[in-house]
Amino acid sequence: MLIDFRFKALDPIRNNVNWILRPLEYVMMAPRNAFEATSEYFTTRGTLDQENQAMKVRQAELSLLANQSEFLMVENQNLRELMALQKQVPFKTLPVEILFNPPNPISQRIVINRGSDDGLKLGNPIANDAGILGQVVRLYERSAEVSLLEDRDFAVPVQVARNGLRAAVFGAGRGNPLELRYLPVASDLEVGDILLTSGIDGVYPPGFAVAVISKIERNADKNSSNVFCVPVAAVNRYRQALAFLYDPKFDAKAPTINNKSASGEPLGNNPGRRQTRARGMQ
Amino acid sequence: MIDFQSGYILRPVNPVFIYFSLFCALLLNLLPIGNYGWVPDWLIICIVFWNIHQHRYVSVISAFILGLMMDVHNSDLLGLHAFSYSLVAYLAISWHRRIVALTVLSQALHLLPIFLLVSLFPVLVHWVLSGEFYWWALTGAIQAVIEALLWPIATRILLAPQRRPIDVDHNRPL
Repeated sequence: MLIDFRFKALDPIRNNVNWILRPLEYVMMAPRNAFEATSEYFTTRGTLDQENQAMKVRQAELSLLANQSEFLMVENQNLRELMALQKQVPFKTLPVEILFNPPNPISQRIVINRGSDDGLKLGNPIANDAGILGQVVRLYERSAEVSLLEDRDFAVPVQVARNGLRAAVFGAGRGNPLELRYLPVASDLEVGDILLTSGIDGVYPPGFAVAVISKIERNADKNSSNVFCVPVAAVNRYRQALAFLYDPKFDAKAPTINNKSASGEPLGNNPGRRQTRARGMQ
Repeated sequence: MIDFQSGYILRPVNPVFIYFSLFCALLLNLLPIGNYGWVPDWLIICIVFWNIHQHRYVSVISAFILGLMMDVHNSDLLGLHAFSYSLVAYLAISWHRRIVALTVLSQALHLLPIFLLVSLFPVLVHWVLSGEFYWWALTGAIQAVIEALLWPIATRILLAPQRRPIDVDHNRPL
């Protein structure tokens, strides 16, 4: 019986049971939500004022940054065009809400409230404000299950932010730190290095924080080093996250209004559509 | 049915109450408490209880269906809970004559292995299928102990409707 289920033959059954079960789960989430809502409702005016101030400052900073980044992005795209590099693929984001994490001794997953009806696809990455959380591994119509970074053998291609060294981060099972595998002793790594997604695999968009190196054990005999890292994004901090609808393979973008007017080229000649180089050769 | 604790004959059980209690246990299991090893599995307490006391109403098949629901909720391998629940239901049915004759505390002690089987079953299956053993996942044993400790309370609550007196004297309620 158990072996049978490894081949995904019974997904329809799962879908149907899920269809019955999900409303009940929503009902049972009501007490927790009500509790949180009341505790939020009774926060004092002073705290709210403080929060408001902080938010305003933050917003001002962010909008400044956003203006700047738009300028940088245009400049970057132009430079890439000049150097005939592949254009970076823009992607859409979808705000999702984390519903709960199912009790499961083996794996660490979360269930989110968006599914295939909202345009989510299998394999879409999920991130929050700090960094990558995980990846959609099972899709229902109105919800999805997300496997977190620390799931066993969950791999993310990364590069070290400081020097651009490429590597892959692997999950080592629930409760264990992440591992950087297949690295020689002499690789230039330090504790505290931030690992960003490199975008090689075409699943994760490049440049998002994944983990921070916490411990390095160099083993000169075997010419290997055990590098342990801690994920950047904390799962239990917020209920909100973002799903990246990122698909560079099929989604060679039709020009948006911006880059069309900027380049002024006809459709077929747009560099964004050109896929001559292998993906990831940036 | 005779209540071996008090020696009285119990009232006949109401099937609606059985299904209602199973449904409530299922809802309790769906509470978003978080992914902790010690959270008791209310549903298995309920299933084992009714399998021991009223196995004509709650059988292996209903245990299987409820287990399937828990599989989907827990995003486990489909059939994991379904199998362990029905196995345990079978064990409970085959032990029921022996267990109802014991006192409640020794019942709880007898049922501890059953609860241990349920809580460690996913770890064992994972071990068999992938060859890796999660030692820290053995904290599920705590869950089994908590479930065994909850057993007297469950007995009290779930048998309460059957322990009502038959002839109620409204003038002298006690």
